[in-house]
Amino acid sequence: MAAIPEAPTLFLRKATGLVKGWSKFDAFLYSFMSVNFVTLGLFFSLSVLGFVPDGQVLPALLLSGVFMSFLVVTYAGLISVMPRAGGDYVWQSRVLGGGIGFVLAVTGWWFILWYWAPVYANILSVEVLQPLAAVLKLEGLSDFLANDNGLFLVIQFTVVLAAVLVALGMETYAKIQKVCFYIGMAALALMFLIMLFGSRSGFASAFNQEATNLFGASGDTYNRTLELAGGSQVVPDLGFTPFLGSTLLLVPFLAFWILYPNWGATLYGEVRGASDFRRVMVGMLQGLWITIAIAVAFILLAAKFFGWQWFNAANLGYWNTVYQTGEAAIPIWPFPPLLASFYFHSPLLSTIIVLAFGAWFLGWAGTLFLSSTRVIFAAAFDRILPERMADVSEHRHVPVWALILMLVPSLVVGALYAYTDNFATYILDAVLVIAVTFFGTAIAATILPFRKRHLYENSPIARYKVAGIPLISITGFVTAVFLGFNLWKWFQDDLYAVNNRDSLVFMGVMYGLAILIYLVARIYRRRQGIDLRAVHEEIPVE
Amino acid sequence: MKLFFVSDLHGSEICWKKFLNAGAFYKADVVILGGDITGKAMVPIVQHADGTWAASLQDHLETLETQAEVEEFEKRVMNRGYYPLRVSDEEYRALQADPELVDKRFKEVMLEGTERWIAMAEDKLGGTGIRVIACPANDDMFEIDDLLTGARVVETGDEEHPIQLGELTMVSMGWTNPTPWHTFREADEPELARRIERALEAAEDPKRTIFNFHAPPYGSRLDTAPALKEDLSYVSGGQALRPVGSTSVREAIKDYQPLLSLHGHIHESKGAVRLGSTLALNPGSSYEEGILQAAIVDVDPRKQKVKNYLLVNG
Repeated sequence: MAAIPEAPTLFLRKATGLVKGWSKFDAFLYSFMSVNFVTLGLFFSLSVLGFVPDGQVLPALLLSGVFMSFLVVTYAGLISVMPRAGGDYVWQSRVLGGGIGFVLAVTGWWFILWYWAPVYANILSVEVLQPLAAVLKLEGLSDFLANDNGLFLVIQFTVVLAAVLVALGMETYAKIQKVCFYIGMAALALMFLIMLFGSRSGFASAFNQEATNLFGASGDTYNRTLELAGGSQVVPDLGFTPFLGSTLLLVPFLAFWILYPNWGATLYGEVRGASDFRRVMVGMLQGLWITIAIAVAFILLAAKFFGWQWFNAANLGYWNTVYQTGEAAIPIWPFPPLLASFYFHSPLLSTIIVLAFGAWFLGWAGTLFLSSTRVIFAAAFDRILPERMADVSEHRHVPVWALILMLVPSLVVGALYAYTDNFATYILDAVLVIAVTFFGTAIAATILPFRKRHLYENSPIARYKVAGIPLISITGFVTAVFLGFNLWKWFQDDLYAVNNRDSLVFMGVMYGLAILIYLVARIYRRRQGIDLRAVHEEIPVE
Repeated sequence: MKLFFVSDLHGSEICWKKFLNAGAFYKADVVILGGDITGKAMVPIVQHADGTWAASLQDHLETLETQAEVEEFEKRVMNRGYYPLRVSDEEYRALQADPELVDKRFKEVMLEGTERWIAMAEDKLGGTGIRVIACPANDDMFEIDDLLTGARVVETGDEEHPIQLGELTMVSMGWTNPTPWHTFREADEPELARRIERALEAAEDPKRTIFNFHAPPYGSRLDTAPALKEDLSYVSGGQALRPVGSTSVREAIKDYQPLLSLHGHIHESKGAVRLGSTLALNPGSSYEEGILQAAIVDVDPRKQKVKNYLLVNG
């Protein structure tokens, strides 16, 4: 008689909710669009390498990727243990307590996104609007975008765009995001082809011509770019030395971009088994590592096509003009796709390339308010915020109050960003506060198997152990160390411009506001006969 | 009067145990399970010729050598809401080949499971003064109704059988609008409306009436579920969400305006909304993880108002 199959399969009956889970592609797509190479990577991370003149970007990227992989495994594990309940708020509330969960979640997934609104707007301005204005020779628009009023108008537009995308609903936005992915990848492939087959001398010549044509520059603008940045050696030539040392100083800059492969963590559906754990983990790892592979390819091509020193000099020149510490050869940020398009001297092609790269922004912009509205809903359901905050409009199901709680503060913070001198320099506050939230989750993951034993043992990851220690405790601990390193550097080193009084006051106000809301809610609800501590208390089993 | 309401336990033994302890834990007068009591899957534990057992849970094959290991495995299976099924090689192959035999065994294990749960409730809550109510819903086959009706401590209700909670009347309906899974108690909207009408014949005063309707009201945000393709995979990776509740339930709430409306069915759509003056609640469900999501509602029958409520993850 034949032996039975190795693994007996379970028998399912007809019952609601028995759906097929995520496809790997879905898990990949949300991760990939969150670790957005074009918006965050090019503008906020790969453009600032000149600030660490002795750092090597390739080892910094690889080290960051390795440590971020631990974060991915940690989040995939938490999704597997508490899938539908998912998200930092619930994980932390369950393991660390409701107060800690609320404070860390609302600061990282709600309040700090007020600051992200101008960050998104800035990217829209430098990657889409300013390049288009330059290519189309709309000088009035270029001048307007460069001043405070222009920036504030773009902030208002971005905030409204993000609100509209929330109002459209996730189904529509998910379709938009998928189309954006394909358009964005096609545009990226085109840029890579230009950089691969074009020559550096050809680029230098094209750049000089277009700098004259579009910006009125004269002479050898290519070489002037190098001179303005202080010479021909802005950063080390590409290599792996030093592997650590000053290279580590680049890691907190790179974190601004690659800290979010887990951004879809609250979206994953009902996870049934270890294969789903692996699928979610692999999807997020692919999003992270394909992005890193694209970044490495870009860096190598930039070295070949633009010249590595020139690429960094052009970026450093831009930031020198922003911080008023120097000048640049051209008046806008040297957006690599725009630079590559110069090779063909075709305004039409440049316009098409810039617009196509805009898909990277559009496919990412909807994430600005989505997570926030979820946290606001969750806090309202837990009676910390008033019930009304979770209301949706009767016909279009728009979360009106949640959007107001995002829109109004975003515009206030946006005005501070546009009209004050220093506020825009606290840019790394935006990632620091999120890193604190993730740090809390990493701690929660580390102690989960010991604090919530039956929850852990009932999960598909319970059998993953290393030397008898639960895998999630190990990955959670390594993640906490990695995030702790970044937090330490941000707080300790002037390089990152966040350890000054005003920046700390700004962040302190956010944490203070979160604590205040929680304490007021506790007292107010207690008077109503509601004990908020009961929300996450576990009922005894026996 | 304090009500403790849960829904969609789907066979999770750990959640049922927590449910039985919840009355004392939260000082509730009544604990109510709003439907979908029974599990969705059987996990075969196949005995080999050498006396060992093979079984798979969460994609992990386990070889069990002792009786204690088998019992421990069965406990884990039941905690996730599945039914363990000890079978021989031959029985396992027969089940694989015959869907009708699988249905028959499902019925047997579901009835055995429900009987065991009823006995546990009688042990735990008999004589405590805490009332326990369990109503069947769309995922529960009709055969469990008789077991619930015949129980001593556990009470049950449906459209024909309202339940008095002091001065309040709770009317129940486990039927839902059609789902992609064609479950046991589904009906189109006109039929649901007729059933609700019949249920409301027993209710005299809206302000003293509680709805316990498994299906949430359409478009209320208590009914938001991931959109599915024909092959039951997610549209857009689960990000595309749609309202899937019942329009008849929504109309009934809006027209009748009961004091409170309790729902379940859509596990991922936990929430609380006001429909007119009615507070409608769906505590959601995380039964597979052993988390008992619930709504605690403090009702003042004399003032005919909901004093407060809290959604908890017990």
